[in-house]
Amino acid sequence: MAIASDSIRRARPLLGTFVEIEVAGARRSDMDGAIDAAFDAVAQVHRLMSFHEPDSDVSRLNREAGIRPLRVHAWTFEVLQTAVELHRRSGGLFDITIAPALQTMGLLPLLKDKPASAPIARSADAIELLPDQQVNFRSTDVTIDLGGIAKGFAVDRAVAALRDFGIPGGMVNAGGDLRAFGAEPRAVHVRDPRDPGRLICRIDVADQALASTARRVELFDSSDPGCSAVIDPATQRPASLIDGVTVRAPSCMVADALTKVVMISGTDAGQLLECYQAGALLISADGDVQITSDWHQAVHLAA
Amino acid sequence: MNWVRYTLPAAAIMSVASPAYAVRYLSIDEAQKEAFPSATHFTEVQAGRVWKAEAGGKVVGFFVFDRVVGKHLFIDYAVALTPAGAVHKVEILEYRESYGGDIRSPSWLAQFVGKTSGSALKINGDIRNIAGATLSSTHVTEGVKRILAAYGNRLR
Repeated sequence: MAIASDSIRRARPLLGTFVEIEVAGARRSDMDGAIDAAFDAVAQVHRLMSFHEPDSDVSRLNREAGIRPLRVHAWTFEVLQTAVELHRRSGGLFDITIAPALQTMGLLPLLKDKPASAPIARSADAIELLPDQQVNFRSTDVTIDLGGIAKGFAVDRAVAALRDFGIPGGMVNAGGDLRAFGAEPRAVHVRDPRDPGRLICRIDVADQALASTARRVELFDSSDPGCSAVIDPATQRPASLIDGVTVRAPSCMVADALTKVVMISGTDAGQLLECYQAGALLISADGDVQITSDWHQAVHLAA
Repeated sequence: MNWVRYTLPAAAIMSVASPAYAVRYLSIDEAQKEAFPSATHFTEVQAGRVWKAEAGGKVVGFFVFDRVVGKHLFIDYAVALTPAGAVHKVEILEYRESYGGDIRSPSWLAQFVGKTSGSALKINGDIRNIAGATLSSTHVTEGVKRILAAYGNRLR
């Protein structure tokens, strides 16, 4: 029987945040190799889906997909499929074509050779997904940003890489978007978005993902261009109904994306959450905490 | 789906106050071995800051230790450079954060001394993992750029 050593944790600066990986229950050398592979997967997602990297799939699409269909990496295509499906199921609330509004607010940089277009009329078919991983934009005005979903996807890829190495349990946390796997549940604390020095509750997480977002963006560094800025497509302005949201879902990509919808629609998102086998905890501006009824047993409030 | 509503009295939230938090991921030694597994020898080029990694008399890269300020406290990290001066790997060695409180007091800082690799230091209860934190890595990214500017061409 292999001697299992203690758990190990590593962190690297990736995706504009700190990505932390913790694994346990395997030989040290296996865990080291697995962690390297998992970080490589996260870095690969960053290279493919960054709005800022000129050679990413996202930048190529923003430059050219309005003119001709482009073939993208299988991972990018998978994220786009989920994004398009979420757009449809959420009645347009989840919208990766919101990039121009983020550019107007200075949260995303303007692109060379592409002036920030006026917000285009919302359209269900702005993005066309074609066979053979080809993608076509309906017009040259369409600009996408995967900032609301790619971080969760990166966490999923990292977990898949760890599992491929036979690691029995662990956790990947990309600045609050996290996923645990293995038999042992892990305790995760959720901050009070109105006062990040305080914790609202403890949540036991086992074999699922948890993503959080908050209205206030200056949790750690006010110069950081708001990773958690959520724009309501209807108003093109930041959502203001809810102070903070934590979503539980089977995958981190879905959990990450659903936090944006719940930030905008609050408790109206119940049906959508159900459709993705997800639950949510939301902290409204008046200080009340609301939790979906399927989940409240796993949430331990700090009372 | 139904929602269950809780009204939290302010005092309930106050009861779990102020998580000061630090995680030690790797020591400098461990990070060196991790970055250059083939290296047989590390020579200090600049005291406590830059090491040359060698394997069988051949330079396999450089290891630079640095520290930047996070929100309030220091983040220790290391940049492994290839022999040509490109970034090979960036690892966080130690991460600390705090909200309020007397963070500069010797007793507070003493809590971080002597922690072994992989051990998370928990203060005020079992704070293993915190969700809802968008931890900015901007300062580390800037630090890596500074290191490249300072050493990228010089160490060869």
